[in-house]
Amino acid sequence: MDNNLVEMLVEELEAGSKHEEKLWRELLPGVVSGAAGNNLCETIREPLFGLLHELGETALGRKLKLVIERTPTFPVAELLPLILDLCGELRHDSEQAVRELERMLSELATPIIRIWTEVLLVPLIGGLDSDRAQGMAEKLLDRVSATRAKVVVVDVTGVPTIDTAAGGFLIETFSAVKLLGAEVILTGLKPEIAHTLVKLGIDFRMVAIARDLEDALRQAIAMIEEDRSRQRKIVWARGSNFPGECEGGERDGI
Amino acid sequence: MAFKERVVPTIRIGDSLLVPIQIDLDDKTVEQLQTQLLAEIQEHRVRAVILDVRMVEVIDSYISYTLTETAAMAHLMGCRTVICGIQPPVALTLAQMGIELQGFLVARDLEHAMGLVYSP
Amino acid sequence: MDGKLRELLDIPENDFDVVVRISREEDIAIARQMAKQLAQELGFSLADVTKVATAVSELARNIYRYAQPGKIMIRKRPEESGGPAIQVVAADRGPGIESVERVLTKGYTTHERSLGIGLSGIRRLMDFCEIASEVGTGTVVRVEKRRRKF
Repeated sequence: MDNNLVEMLVEELEAGSKHEEKLWRELLPGVVSGAAGNNLCETIREPLFGLLHELGETALGRKLKLVIERTPTFPVAELLPLILDLCGELRHDSEQAVRELERMLSELATPIIRIWTEVLLVPLIGGLDSDRAQGMAEKLLDRVSATRAKVVVVDVTGVPTIDTAAGGFLIETFSAVKLLGAEVILTGLKPEIAHTLVKLGIDFRMVAIARDLEDALRQAIAMIEEDRSRQRKIVWARGSNFPGECEGGERDGI
Repeated sequence: MAFKERVVPTIRIGDSLLVPIQIDLDDKTVEQLQTQLLAEIQEHRVRAVILDVRMVEVIDSYISYTLTETAAMAHLMGCRTVICGIQPPVALTLAQMGIELQGFLVARDLEHAMGLVYSP
Repeated sequence: MDGKLRELLDIPENDFDVVVRISREEDIAIARQMAKQLAQELGFSLADVTKVATAVSELARNIYRYAQPGKIMIRKRPEESGGPAIQVVAADRGPGIESVERVLTKGYTTHERSLGIGLSGIRRLMDFCEIASEVGTGTVVRVEKRRRKF
């Protein structure tokens, strides 16, 4: 008797896939038999969750309504809290997924690439809204310090607009990088942005600016070479207290 | 200068003076530190002071001011001042507060600092 | 007394996790340490912990120099809707500030070493900043910073 009812229901439910049909076959015997209590909830929890996943709340609701109409002994009282619980679990899972995506986004959006010895490249992408931008600045500074970077190239090609707040943020970040003893080269400013920045009175004169990435790299290498040659001269210059020692180094053909 | 008069242990490297700042600076210690440094600059004909602030976890406006003051004093004694070891969170905080450290050359680390000491 | 000022002065000390009275110079470092600890407990990033500690250092020093007697009160607010946050109230019975607006804009006033960088700098470090003051009565500064999502 029960099996017939189950078969009838399965046919009427018009499952959209083999998987769905299988889930109904797992679920229905329990609810159709009229059994109640915790045992029932245990057995139907899994297929019910599966169906919730598969069909979504609305479709599942519709189909369950159909089952309830056909089954006078359907344990509605037991089922209701169970369903609410499962919906809660589903929501929790998607919130978890969203959080994971947000985290990934923040990682991806702030790549810091070592493009040359002691040169870091930061391609900024997207808007410079507060939280993400702050996180980026902190990460950059930690990296500069950890790698003893000499030059940081900031490429804003991927930033669509720079308003006063974003401009201020960039300037603060550049100042902070310089407090770590590194140089900053800014590149990727589009003509419209250059126009806006000057009109807004944002002053980027405290950093070097490059036409494009190639120019930036060239400037960066030049800065490093200059630093290095200065270090070489020092080796020869030490031991004397007065200016003029550098000339000694040069004469020795460094 | 007698050892016990020194409030901060300093290290001479050539004609540079390395000053690691490891204590909380308050009015009294700042006064003592500045006096000590000026005396040492004169006594050993120091040409550069290197302030190592690696251990300093917070630099507020007062500390910034006293460091700037110290650099100005050293400058009047013919000495340049290099600051090195500013920690990343401190650098960010200073920049966002809008505080500028005046009168310093900024170095990444000690090696860089020594380079800056002798640069033109 | 100004309504806002009264409201802020009336917040009971018991509501706070930490209360540091500022009378000796050492108390500045104590207030700073406590702020740092509470911010760490709330899981703030290192940079944000530093910002909170720096802001508290500024507030405490202002009290020590110009507005004794005063105190710094700090509390954790783990359950705020925007996320866990730390709240700091700096209250003093000092001379009061004539024009809060003028002090907050980043102009240097006659006390260049004093409030000039202090209050406007603090505002830039924290998410929320509220000041109430009355000449002859005192000043209360309330600041808050929440933990960032990223």
